[in-house]
Amino acid sequence: MELCLFLGCNTPAIRPDVERAIRATMPELGVDLAEVEGYVCCPAFGSFPSTDDDSHLASSGWNLSIAEAKGLDIMVQCGSCYSSLRMGLDHLAHDDLKLARVNELLELTGRKLECKTAVRHVSEILYNEVGVEKISRTIKKSLEGLHGVIQYPCHTLFPSEIVGFEESPRQPKALRVLTEALGATVESYSRELQCCGGAGGFSSSSPAEATAFTKTKLDAIIEETKADFIVVSCITCLMYLDNIQKKLNEAENTDKYNIPVFDYNQLLALCMGFDPKQVASICTIPRNLVIDRL
Amino acid sequence: MAEKKPIGTVLVAGAGVSGIKAALELAEIGYKVLLTDASPQIGGILAKLDNQFPSDHCGMCRILPMVGREYASQYCMRKGLYHENIEILPFTELTRVEGDVGNYTIELLKKARYIDTDKCNGLGECIKVCPVEVPDEFNHGLTQRKAVYKPVPHSTPQMLLVDMDVCTNCGECVKVCPTNVINLGAEDEAFTRHVHSIILASGVKLYNLEEFEDAKSWAVSQDVISALAFERIISGTGTFDGQIKRPSDGKPAKKIAWVQCMGSRNRRQKRDYCSSICCMFALKEAMLARQKGGDDVEATIFYMDMRTFGKDFYRYYEKAVDAGVKFIRCRVQEVMHNPDKSLSMRYYDSQKEEFFVADYDMVVLSTGQIPHKTHAKLAKLFHLELNCQGLLPTQIYDKVKLVKPGVFLCGSLMGLTDLSEAISSGIAAAGQASTLLSSLDVTIIEEEQIAEPTTKDRQVPLISVVLCKCSEKVEKSSVDFGALEMGLKKFNFVGEVNIIDMVCSDQGKENLLKLLKKSQSNRLIIGACHPFMYRKSLKNLAKKAGFAASLIEIFDLSSIVHKGFFESVKKDQTHEAYSEIISIMENLKLKPALHVETLSMNRTALVVGGGIAGMHASFALAQRGVDVHLVEKSDKLGGYAGNNIHATIDDLEPVSMAKDLMIKVLEHKNIILHKNCEVAATQGSFGAFETRIRDLENQENQYLSHGAAIIATGGLEGKTAEYEYGNSANILTQAQLREGLSTGKIDVSDAQNIVMIQCVGSREKQGRKYCSRICCIGAIANALAIQEKNPDARIFILYRDVMTYGFAEQYYTKARGAGIVFVSYDLDKKPEVELVDGKPVIKFTESVLNSEIELSPDFLILSPGVDPEVSNREVGKAFDLPVNDDGFFIEADSKWRPIEFLRTGFYVAGVAHSPMTLKDAILQAEAAAQKVYAHLSSRKIHRAHVISKVHDAICVRCQRCVDICPYDARSYDKVLDSIMVDAAACQACGMCGVACQNNAARIMGFSDKQIMAVIDAKLSENPMFMVGK
Amino acid sequence: MDFSESDKDLWKQIYNTKDLLYCLNCSTCLSGCPASHGDPPLLVRNLARMVVFGLEDDLLDDDTPWACVSCSRCEEMCPMDVKPFEMILAIRKWQSANDETRVPPSIVEIYKRGYTQSVGTNTKLRKSLGLPELQTITKMPQMLKLYQQMLMKTPVVSENDYMFNEE
Repeated sequence: MELCLFLGCNTPAIRPDVERAIRATMPELGVDLAEVEGYVCCPAFGSFPSTDDDSHLASSGWNLSIAEAKGLDIMVQCGSCYSSLRMGLDHLAHDDLKLARVNELLELTGRKLECKTAVRHVSEILYNEVGVEKISRTIKKSLEGLHGVIQYPCHTLFPSEIVGFEESPRQPKALRVLTEALGATVESYSRELQCCGGAGGFSSSSPAEATAFTKTKLDAIIEETKADFIVVSCITCLMYLDNIQKKLNEAENTDKYNIPVFDYNQLLALCMGFDPKQVASICTIPRNLVIDRL
Repeated sequence: MAEKKPIGTVLVAGAGVSGIKAALELAEIGYKVLLTDASPQIGGILAKLDNQFPSDHCGMCRILPMVGREYASQYCMRKGLYHENIEILPFTELTRVEGDVGNYTIELLKKARYIDTDKCNGLGECIKVCPVEVPDEFNHGLTQRKAVYKPVPHSTPQMLLVDMDVCTNCGECVKVCPTNVINLGAEDEAFTRHVHSIILASGVKLYNLEEFEDAKSWAVSQDVISALAFERIISGTGTFDGQIKRPSDGKPAKKIAWVQCMGSRNRRQKRDYCSSICCMFALKEAMLARQKGGDDVEATIFYMDMRTFGKDFYRYYEKAVDAGVKFIRCRVQEVMHNPDKSLSMRYYDSQKEEFFVADYDMVVLSTGQIPHKTHAKLAKLFHLELNCQGLLPTQIYDKVKLVKPGVFLCGSLMGLTDLSEAISSGIAAAGQASTLLSSLDVTIIEEEQIAEPTTKDRQVPLISVVLCKCSEKVEKSSVDFGALEMGLKKFNFVGEVNIIDMVCSDQGKENLLKLLKKSQSNRLIIGACHPFMYRKSLKNLAKKAGFAASLIEIFDLSSIVHKGFFESVKKDQTHEAYSEIISIMENLKLKPALHVETLSMNRTALVVGGGIAGMHASFALAQRGVDVHLVEKSDKLGGYAGNNIHATIDDLEPVSMAKDLMIKVLEHKNIILHKNCEVAATQGSFGAFETRIRDLENQENQYLSHGAAIIATGGLEGKTAEYEYGNSANILTQAQLREGLSTGKIDVSDAQNIVMIQCVGSREKQGRKYCSRICCIGAIANALAIQEKNPDARIFILYRDVMTYGFAEQYYTKARGAGIVFVSYDLDKKPEVELVDGKPVIKFTESVLNSEIELSPDFLILSPGVDPEVSNREVGKAFDLPVNDDGFFIEADSKWRPIEFLRTGFYVAGVAHSPMTLKDAILQAEAAAQKVYAHLSSRKIHRAHVISKVHDAICVRCQRCVDICPYDARSYDKVLDSIMVDAAACQACGMCGVACQNNAARIMGFSDKQIMAVIDAKLSENPMFMVGK
Repeated sequence: MDFSESDKDLWKQIYNTKDLLYCLNCSTCLSGCPASHGDPPLLVRNLARMVVFGLEDDLLDDDTPWACVSCSRCEEMCPMDVKPFEMILAIRKWQSANDETRVPPSIVEIYKRGYTQSVGTNTKLRKSLGLPELQTITKMPQMLKLYQQMLMKTPVVSENDYMFNEE
């Protein structure tokens, strides 16, 4: 199958190793990737979706129309981009007035939107389209003996009728099953479904409280599990959980927050034998302990 | 010869409490009942519950007939049910219905149990060898069961079955079965029957954590359980022998939280209704947790509104508050488990404006009722469409009448009912069915009339012993019948010993009759299995052979025989049986012959109160041929609702409905109306009362004879002087507003702000200590009416708890959607009202933002609740019926006997009982009429053999027995200066015998001498004989 | 709180859906909200009440809607289907429309280069990872121009056009 890869901004700009991992792994699993030439900001919830409907939905429509013109569905890794595009699409697909207005705006640019393109999350593609069996068959190395925990991207869970794909959004399992397919032991912990705390204005408007909030999550992981790594499938979760551990160590003068964080496609790429320097090189908390065990 | 009329037969589909109650009611009249249930056992949810609010005990047996009690089983209802006229068909579904009113052909599908339960001895050898283990539904997965299992562990007889969904067909059970009754190849069996009426009683389904997506986020630990699972934990027959432990590790649970509205009050999940029962359920469980677990148990309830709307509910809530149960008004989003297995929940305290995180050992989810999935199935069966609430469509005023005539429904099929409503509706549905049957050409099951033989108790005792070998169930008996026969024969008071077989079969019965006819003995002992099932028929048989009913003892021989199969029982079962028979004989030798008197019933009913409930009950009785005296204090019929309320939110028109009913009542030849009359005094006992009524105009007395009476005195709109009421034209009651809006005398078109205050003088220690149940819905109706006339008006409803229980929740939702603003207030911070220039100014705290609001509303509307009828105390005095502190009548049992008085022959309906909606009042009236009809329809009532008597000569009239009698069967008659016993009401419990210090209260057939003889016999070794040893 | 100053129909301006009115103040949204841990806390339930009451001044001054992490947990859990996250966005939109200082600077970045940050400029890093140069809209002036023209027709850009002028 072929899908348009919607990169967003953080991944290509700050964590291009994740982009590399996605571009490396997906075609080998039978998912060919096309570009979304001229895409713009998804738009991030703090931008146009916080100013007015027109600018918000016109930007969504802009992005969607590029893929639609190619006749392809969109695949996203970033949780915010995924959710913003899905919600934008949902508004446009269910409200003829809004769609008409957006098409009025798009017309100026020579574009058109019929809401034919679907927006899908990379973890959903891996889970539903590729399947764990194919993944198990394809990998060359295994995470056997390593313990992982999952950070589910909220944006792929809620609200379930718009963004959800799990059979049971209150008990998601896609990332767990996918990680288990790589040979790792996945442990549950009490705050598994708690938000990473990194998105939106919370961490900038209340930095101390936001740090304390995420600390409860990390403490739960440390106390309740033998986690060697955290698996995410959202660029915000990845960056935030990685960076905050260093902050916590500095603030508390400790080194206990040292769990490496991986995007799922990074682990997948490592297991498929790609060069760690290319697919998993950018991080704050060192990943050697996991990478060396492979 | 005229063709024999068929026996009136009714299908009751569903054997939860409401279905059982309906079946019992019809059986009591003498109709034949088929009682089916889709599950493998009867009893529904109640089989799982040890305790019910408000007594915190079980009391299910109280639904058994009190009058004529010997026709039904008289043991724990949670174990099973037996009535001669009821055919119980568990695991049977209704699959097809053909025909029309009064004549239906139904097709039933009996699902395969794979075990012949008639022959199974219930000992469960098969269970021991079954290799399959699955979670046990009965204990909500807290324990495991096998593929072959007992669906209700405590039922009698044990009704085992094989769960084919999990059975591996290994056949081990077949091999070990001693009675050879397992057939793993058995098939479902379809059969048809003819019935004259159908009552649907499919019962309730509870929201469960496994099935529903939105519940799954709560499944974070084994210690997050449903309310019913908690019920199994605290049950004496439950998982931890009644100790409160958390399932995950068996450690005592000391901090327990209840989370309300689980699965209900959820518009997003399309469950926009209140389950109605969970608030009281949680309160009861919290109280029980503290009672059973000790004072160090911390019980917290997370709630939105504590819906304590029913009778005495609020008092129970206050009791819980006093008992230290904590209440937190917050719907929490999730529970998380901590590393130490404790559970943590985060909530917001609006008053402190702060978040808190609290840890608990166990979290109980108050999983609500959801409309049963069978609704859709039933609708299809009867070619009906479900209504917008997903319920079967019923007639507008009668909740128990399906739109399809001849078919009735009760219990949770009507919507979301609590226990007392389930019972009342069961009775009402039976009432409707009996009304229909009384108009058809059908008859009742005539009781076999066997003349009691001449007294034989003065003769020297000579006992005939009959023992049934029960060879069908026992291949090799553990009792040596030959030895037993020899041992017993040596007593000179034993006439003969007969060992027979299969006395339960027709052939067996015939053989027995022949044997007994030949007998010269005057007393009889029969040993057989399931005495509760065969007692009546065996006794009738023996009576035909000339034995006196009270000189026949039937005992359970099979249990003694079966015990012998356990290797652990080292006792000699032959000796065990011998010893049992000896002690029974000792008793029997001393027994007097007791004779059954028949009480003649006056077939006239008295109905007090001519409101809608009273008129409905009168007409329901008159229709069935019962004469009715209807006594009304005022000069007009209709009562409060029938004269004042023109329309309700649910599209009822009480005034016009009352007018129609009035015409029916006035025109019916069986009803005599006594207007302007009040009841003064009554005397007599059940079946033969004489009541004096006084004409209020000319003060003349009239004496009315009647067999039973219904009290339907109604109620009044509450009065208040709070919140400056009466001092301003802009301060009105809801009733005044409703009236003003409908007549146009009150103009709201220019109003900007309207404030309504709920619970005025209600639910507080200084005022009415109860919720009036109808005011929240009434206020919402008025608010919506104002909104319609003036969409720009801002309407505030200040409430404490919005009592829109059941589907009335949808009115609450509708009102919010229409922009009506609801603000909660606490009792310790009531709104303050003062008058400025004659207009009200109100100050209150806004509950969400926690800020002070001052408003000058155009209108201030008060909801002062419902007051009881002022004459209730006098009526109570005249009939010797109890009235509670609030002024409403006290029923015999709030859950199990909601419309009966303790005093036999008296029933209550409508607001005389407690504030209620019109539909509920009609339901109760229908039920009360049915109770009266069940008794009055038979000309004679047989009292039970065993009742208490008074030895008048040694009675000192201390009346201790009168006070202690739990059935109000004893009274002191001033004229005769004697203690009287109402023979129909007495249940022979023996409390009077215990209380009486002079031994003047006696239970016939239970003399001290007899009891001592039994004890002596049981204690002695009975070294009877040396057989084979 | 003074109701004589409040606009009963403000909700129609802010979040014109009846879903909002169904709120029964149950606090579900508060209990699991990440940003409710903030200082000041984001209290979604209270915001809903303020909108319903029409407390215009209080709402304009309130910063907490901007603390939302957009996790949409409240949306999933709300028993009345108020769609609280949509409401948060709606409040932000209303604030932006009524107070230009609320307009987030990120939209200027997006206007200028298509993204909130500089995407596609890290060519060296990308190359070292084996990634090709990224053809972003920033590097496609024709296309960016079309996007900007489109945005110029939207209220927030046209009414605050001074923010978007090239220096």
